Amino acid sequence: MARPITRRAALAGLGLAAASAGCLGRTENIAGRDPHSQLTLEINATPADDDPNGIRIARQLEEHLTAVGIGVRLNTVGQTDLWRKVLINQNFDLYVGQFVETEPFDPDALYGLTHSRFVAEPGWQNPFGLTEIAVDDLLERQRRVTGSDRVAAADALQETVCELQPFSVVAFPDALTAVREDRFEGWTGDRQPVSAAGLLALDPVPADGGSADAGSADDGSATDSGTDGNATATDAGTDPEPETVLRLVTTDDRITENWNPIAAEYRNHGTFTGLLYDPLVRADGDEFFPWLATGWERVDETTLDVTLREARWHDGEPVTASDVAFTYAFLRDTSLGNVETPVPTPRFRGRSSVVEGARARDESTVRLTVADVNETVAARALRVPILPEHVWSERTGAATIAGFEFDFETTEAIVSNNPDPVGSGPLRFVEATAGESVAFERNPDHFLVRSTPEDDADASGETADPRAGVPSRYHGKPAFDRLRIEVLPSDISAVESVAEGLADATVSNLGPESVPRIGRSADARLVSGRSAAFYHVGYNVRRSPLSNPRFRAVIARLIDKTAIVDGAFDGYARAATSPLAASSADVPESVAWADGSDPVHPFFDDGGSLDVAAAREALREIGYRFDGEGRLLSRGR
Amino acid sequence: MTPFLSVLTSVVAWVVAMLVVASVAVIGPARLRETWSGLRDRLWDARRAVAVVCAVLIASAVGRPPLLDVSRLFGLQATAFIYGLEGGFVAWVQATFATPALTAYFSWVYVYGYAFLLAFPPVAYLALPRTTTFSRVLVAYALNYGIGLVLYTAVFAHGPRNVMPDMVTPLLFTTQPDVMALTSEVNVNSNVFPSLHTSLSVTVGTFAVLTHEEYPRWTPVAVPLSLSVVVATMYLGIHWLTDVVAGFALAFGSVALAYRLVEPRSDPGVPRDGPEDDQPPSEPNASD
Repeated sequence: MARPITRRAALAGLGLAAASAGCLGRTENIAGRDPHSQLTLEINATPADDDPNGIRIARQLEEHLTAVGIGVRLNTVGQTDLWRKVLINQNFDLYVGQFVETEPFDPDALYGLTHSRFVAEPGWQNPFGLTEIAVDDLLERQRRVTGSDRVAAADALQETVCELQPFSVVAFPDALTAVREDRFEGWTGDRQPVSAAGLLALDPVPADGGSADAGSADDGSATDSGTDGNATATDAGTDPEPETVLRLVTTDDRITENWNPIAAEYRNHGTFTGLLYDPLVRADGDEFFPWLATGWERVDETTLDVTLREARWHDGEPVTASDVAFTYAFLRDTSLGNVETPVPTPRFRGRSSVVEGARARDESTVRLTVADVNETVAARALRVPILPEHVWSERTGAATIAGFEFDFETTEAIVSNNPDPVGSGPLRFVEATAGESVAFERNPDHFLVRSTPEDDADASGETADPRAGVPSRYHGKPAFDRLRIEVLPSDISAVESVAEGLADATVSNLGPESVPRIGRSADARLVSGRSAAFYHVGYNVRRSPLSNPRFRAVIARLIDKTAIVDGAFDGYARAATSPLAASSADVPESVAWADGSDPVHPFFDDGGSLDVAAAREALREIGYRFDGEGRLLSRGR
Repeated sequence: MTPFLSVLTSVVAWVVAMLVVASVAVIGPARLRETWSGLRDRLWDARRAVAVVCAVLIASAVGRPPLLDVSRLFGLQATAFIYGLEGGFVAWVQATFATPALTAYFSWVYVYGYAFLLAFPPVAYLALPRTTTFSRVLVAYALNYGIGLVLYTAVFAHGPRNVMPDMVTPLLFTTQPDVMALTSEVNVNSNVFPSLHTSLSVTVGTFAVLTHEEYPRWTPVAVPLSLSVVVATMYLGIHWLTDVVAGFALAFGSVALAYRLVEPRSDPGVPRDGPEDDQPPSEPNASD
């Protein structure tokens, strides 16, 4: 910073002499040119205590950037602050983070992530600031077309996004989770074990000295679904059994202070708010099934009728079609017109943008006006949390601090911690101590637990069944009366807590060092399903030189994904090129990770380490210059 | 809670045991008996220092959680700067010196040794006939905590184990995970600048040197132990070298200031509400 000034000062001195010599013009020509200085980029990541993996990716990138002559500021911030910086304020160069969705997702997820129509909005919608017509066109196209046309559109979309690299996909992690199976079983091993769907599908392990029906005390019999689950449910109804508590431990304290499903900076994957609030439709892998809706019908190309299940909010009010209509209007503009410009939701923006209008037809039917989209995208639009109108309509005013409006671009709804959340989901809020713990309890009114056991025995296809259409593995669930989440300082203490029997499972990410620790414990077991929440390096495309796709491509080539998977993740991850690599969607060969190398932006590999000369050459080729000390030069920003 | 309580119990047991041994060996039974009889008078004599240290500790306990939020939101984001300044020094320390025996030693020193190091001086200096040194050490503690809290709030930074997990192992927490339950109760991972472990230990070490004539046996214990704590903060991957340097500065500053603020009393051992109340400790003293 000081360099230009001193140089100028020196030249000013010279200028006096030069003026007398009659060559002021020449001095001006030289002194008027601002000198270049070294390019410095800031990498933002969370500290190892919050997430043991992301910081390691950041560290590698930092080393490689430094090696090629780019200055780096490696900045660690807490998770809330990272997302506030990246998603809300968009004040970053690079960040390392994880995608929001843990379950394999549809190509349409990229709509929210990269469409240029969201470029001015804060939140998970286009946080990179990408503005590419080619990407927009493909995003629109994959929404419209069906069948093989859609596959082709999604393929082309992946190729274009990978080529442009608004973010670099690094790896899809295995969601390492330490669990105990002495109280609950059914921890899913084929995907993230602690997810909304995973927690709901848990089965209780029959207590040993339990009730009289100890005939099936054999461990194996408890696993075979339906009937056993009902037997336990009946017991719970008749006997005053002690309540069963599912105890989870996490390093992420955000769920102890904020329960707002649309607060982007406070939600990780939305696991627990996903249990407080019901969506109309839930998905499990590729399977869609009605949840708060009993069904939906495409009336014509732009109209969708959704019928609701009978349900109540946690405060006893009925869930009505007007709540659904409200939710879609609200997600589009959380101010509902109270603020001059619309304030859209920072989460669920991509999928809720499918719904252009919503109107209650009667108490339990809502008519949605949708853009001309295919069935898959329409069903995705139904997977937003339905919010109670009587609670959220109070929060549509501009956000204020002590009565003063600080920011006209936000509403109370977005900044509210949503204390005492009122949802309709299978769990309801009980109590919390900020930074320490939070407790939820089973919602006894929820449709999952509503039907009587007698009805249930043969309720396969009846319309009267309150759970019609919901897969049987969720009937009578959750399997616990209470869910308690405790905050611990690090992944190590979380694993220890499970090993010592103080908790049933870990929620937050574990580093690979935890694996032998879990192995040493007699009772803890490692469950590691692959998560779709890919680790990525995000670029702020609004800022030079990151606005240059060729520059981003070189940075992407500085990331040694293989080394990260082997080193940072100790093999508990899979390197990838396409953000859809963990989804069932087709990944074209052109962007499919193969033979340990990235097909689009391969690492500058020199026998396992960075080929600095090749990287510098690549930067020179695209127009960048270095000074005598090998520092990449750029204009001050 | 269970791991927390068990660690707390063992820390208290260790510290009490070491205090008993050190009191007999360093202070001597005769002086201890004398202290016991004059305890009330001496505490009364030093009441201001005691009040100050209590006030600071309470303020720290109450004020820390909200101040942490202030630090997070408005504090100077210094991690990148500190890391840019010293790079992989702490990683080098670990890579060069780490052995299981040293890890065990430094882990012990960081938790148990440190607790003892802080607990003993007040006892020892209370046993001196004049309460000046006792007051000074309490004021120095209070200054360390008070200024430390201000700096914690002003500077937001994470330690090396959080920034370079690939090169710096959180040795303390991997070898003794239970200890984390204790340290997380009293500290937060974004409170690294300055190192209060360093500053308080160095404060004790400095006092031990300055009072060598009174307690010749304490100096050779306190100085190596306090330097061990200093090394432990980096060896265990908890603090940066920068935090440690700042810790030294804070320690020396606090000791100097404590000497300046607390003057020696002219009439020792006479419990009286006289001069100290009338004239606040303002003018610098010859003993600085």
